[in-house]
Amino acid sequence: MGKFIGKSIKRKEDVRFLTGKGKYTDDIKLPGMTHAAFVRSPYAHAKINNINTAEALKAEGVVAIFTGQDECGNYGVPCGWQVNFKNGETMREPQQPLLAKGVVRYLGEAVAIVIAETLEQARDAAELVEVDYEELPAVTNPKEAMKEGAPLVHDEWPDNAAFDWCIGNDRAEVEKALENAHHVTELEYVNQRLAPNAIEPRSYIADYNAADDKWTLYTSTQNPHLIRLLLCAFALGIPEHKVRVVSYDVGGGFGSKIFHYTQEALLTWATKQIGRPIKWTADRSEAFLTDAHGRDHVVKAKMGFDKEGKIVALLADEYCAMGAYLSTFAPAIPTYLHGTLFQGLYTTPLIHLDVTAPFTHTVPVDAYRGAGRPEATYLLERLIETGAKEMGMDPAEIRFKNFIPPFDGVNQPGYQTQVALQYDSGNYAPVLKRALEMAGYEDFRKEQEEARKQGKLLGIGISTYIEACGIAPSAVVGALGARAGLYEAGEVRVQPTGKVSIYTGAHAHGQGHETTFAQIVADKLGIALEDVEIIHGDSERSAFGMGTYGSRSLAVGGSAIVKSIEKVLEKGAKIAAHKLEAAVEDLDYADGKWTVKGTDKSVSFGDVALTAYVPHDYPEGLEPGLDFSSFYDPANFTYPFGAHIAIVEVCPDTGKVTLKRFITCDDVGNVINPMIVDGQVHGGVVQGIGQALLEGVVYDENGQMISGSYMDYAMPRADDVPMIETDRTVTPCPHNPLGVKGAGEAGTIGSTPAVVNAVVDALWHLGIRDIPMPLTPARVWEAMNAAKA
Amino acid sequence: MKITGEHLIEAPPEKVWQNILDPRVLEKITPGIKSLEELAPDHYKAVSEIKMGPVKGQFEGEFTIKDKTENKSCKIVLDQKSKIGNALAEINLELIPVSDTQTKVHYTGDARISGMLARMGQRLIGGVVKTLSKQFFEALQKEIEQ
Repeated sequence: MGKFIGKSIKRKEDVRFLTGKGKYTDDIKLPGMTHAAFVRSPYAHAKINNINTAEALKAEGVVAIFTGQDECGNYGVPCGWQVNFKNGETMREPQQPLLAKGVVRYLGEAVAIVIAETLEQARDAAELVEVDYEELPAVTNPKEAMKEGAPLVHDEWPDNAAFDWCIGNDRAEVEKALENAHHVTELEYVNQRLAPNAIEPRSYIADYNAADDKWTLYTSTQNPHLIRLLLCAFALGIPEHKVRVVSYDVGGGFGSKIFHYTQEALLTWATKQIGRPIKWTADRSEAFLTDAHGRDHVVKAKMGFDKEGKIVALLADEYCAMGAYLSTFAPAIPTYLHGTLFQGLYTTPLIHLDVTAPFTHTVPVDAYRGAGRPEATYLLERLIETGAKEMGMDPAEIRFKNFIPPFDGVNQPGYQTQVALQYDSGNYAPVLKRALEMAGYEDFRKEQEEARKQGKLLGIGISTYIEACGIAPSAVVGALGARAGLYEAGEVRVQPTGKVSIYTGAHAHGQGHETTFAQIVADKLGIALEDVEIIHGDSERSAFGMGTYGSRSLAVGGSAIVKSIEKVLEKGAKIAAHKLEAAVEDLDYADGKWTVKGTDKSVSFGDVALTAYVPHDYPEGLEPGLDFSSFYDPANFTYPFGAHIAIVEVCPDTGKVTLKRFITCDDVGNVINPMIVDGQVHGGVVQGIGQALLEGVVYDENGQMISGSYMDYAMPRADDVPMIETDRTVTPCPHNPLGVKGAGEAGTIGSTPAVVNAVVDALWHLGIRDIPMPLTPARVWEAMNAAKA
Repeated sequence: MKITGEHLIEAPPEKVWQNILDPRVLEKITPGIKSLEELAPDHYKAVSEIKMGPVKGQFEGEFTIKDKTENKSCKIVLDQKSKIGNALAEINLELIPVSDTQTKVHYTGDARISGMLARMGQRLIGGVVKTLSKQFFEALQKEIEQ
């Protein structure tokens, strides 16, 4: 622990957020700015016979209207990850057009853009656009989409598969092990579709300046540089150095703002056509309809055990919806971010997963907090818990039996899984031990027994998880199909007065980077926290960046900054040595100054900075200035882990689930700011609880979304959640300079199965083995009633 | 979506039949209706305004009366479009004589709705249909009594 690292420093950025001074894209008003509204398909699948814009063009304030018939209809946004069919064939990759051309393939797909002087005028005119549709049959369920005769999303292919994929050991070998297993637990369920629901809806402003032939795109994205690359090189084919992408403050992303959306490219195209800036901000309905959704796996899975409860084999078949088009990272989510986690924390010797990823007549599905890993954890933790109960074993005990033994990745090698990944370091038993202790596990069973006698239904559910974070090594992700590298850039610019500006390619949209990163810099340089400023979210300020997702900012972006700090200190030492008339080897750096060992002769960081910029008396051959940039490409992912425990009470009359307690013990490696890590865990846990108990996107059989507002899509509220009790163990990451692992997704990954396990535990004695998520009162009540009958 | 219901009218089936098939009456008694234009016998163009919870919209489209068995039953086919979504419905109407002066009107059908109407209104639509039918039949009763 340093002066700042490891301390719960209050977040610097919160002053801005809490006083309404944040700068979100929708807050920006440019001179001459126009506003856009979209005409959207009311059908999930339809032929467009005709679009008549004549009336709309006459409406007051209308500047322009474009449809798929205009030049923009020739452009589409790309997919950033390629997953090929098992037989080696290239995945099917339809163009995702900026505006629908001839056919609409999901409810809410944009058919026309109306640009007007004011937002109201744009909306009014959009209502005047007449579209003649011929409705066609639709399919929204990924399993149904693969049935013979299902409506085709893209006519050019004989079925709806975008690709199929498998990972792990030979399927026949796994099946044989299951046949010979002492006990096999089988579950069939749906990991339901979720809407991301960031508090700030997506918002974009595109501004073309003809004099400079330059574009500026203000966007609520999690990764401005990546958007610039995809937009310029793949969507529109415009020169990258002529486009500046800016995303100042962003109000939550959860993955949904990673992707390059059609509106970003369309607005960038359209601003040049009309020669004026254009703003579009989604309303909540548009967010439900057009933000990429998460999850939507239809799963059948089996776990085999020996007599002692050791897992002998795991087999799963999944249908994972892609939606109508392939969103930026969509193919990676149910594959390389999902199947690769099937080892969990367990020594399972044989694993096989088969995935079929069909197109469906729905909005595209892509990463949503945890992205593939919550789905993997849900599968493992529901199976092992159910297996234990079916065999009459204790659910905690069975986990201890199956844990991979501890390894630190330094003295012991990393753990090679059956599913490609090699874990960096892990010590799994202590997190579960600690969580059980916090929960009072031993006493709880007695309490549960007593409560039952009084007609009260209490349940406890455990979940342990591992996740792959710090989405990175470029060579690895490249081999897995990523079309981009995944490193991070970080620049340390020491100003002449010794104040420090940090330019990072990571992007903060709630994570608190401005505080956490500053803590690292201030500690490593021995300067005051307020002497450090973190700058992000502007492609013309930071050198480059891959943005923030997959809990990667600190592990990858933080490490890039550390590398630059090392370079600053190395050069600084040369200047200090010159000033102190000593050899570099004889200097020590501590508390913001270089000291000649064994003397009181020293020179401060500020003095050295000034000398670097006023190099009158300066080391020969050394360049002036103190400014270093680094790119950090890590050696591996990082692998945080943890144990979550939920305690619930189920109302026997109404089926309502009340969460009594929620306990976490996570290991995210070294912790820079405990308060921020707790905050990340809290938010993540609540999102996971949302999936378990409340949330779910529902499309009806015609592809109409019937959960498209907060009347029908239930988000967790404060009174749905108890105080979350958190603790941690620390197993440092052996391969990055900070020893950090990432904490952004842990909560979401661990919590969902813990809650469902707890509810099933409360009802197990009634013969209930599974309830489909979300576990609403109606579903729980139905399950209890069916069990009675 | 299934639509079913019934309503008791204080009039014999012949009287009910005659009124229900009269476009001038329909224009008067249908809730929210703004205009009704006869395109051909039993084939109309209708414009109406309907409010459903948070959504409100002007509907335009056609409706057709089919499979008529005089004084007994018919089928109403509705195809209405609006900016807030479209509705496509087929409703079977049956007139059951209860006494010399009373008729039970029984209706059953299927409706397909789309767009914002489906997204926002799904949960409310059953109630709205009930309210509107009640208003319709009460107005019909009044019309017959006049």
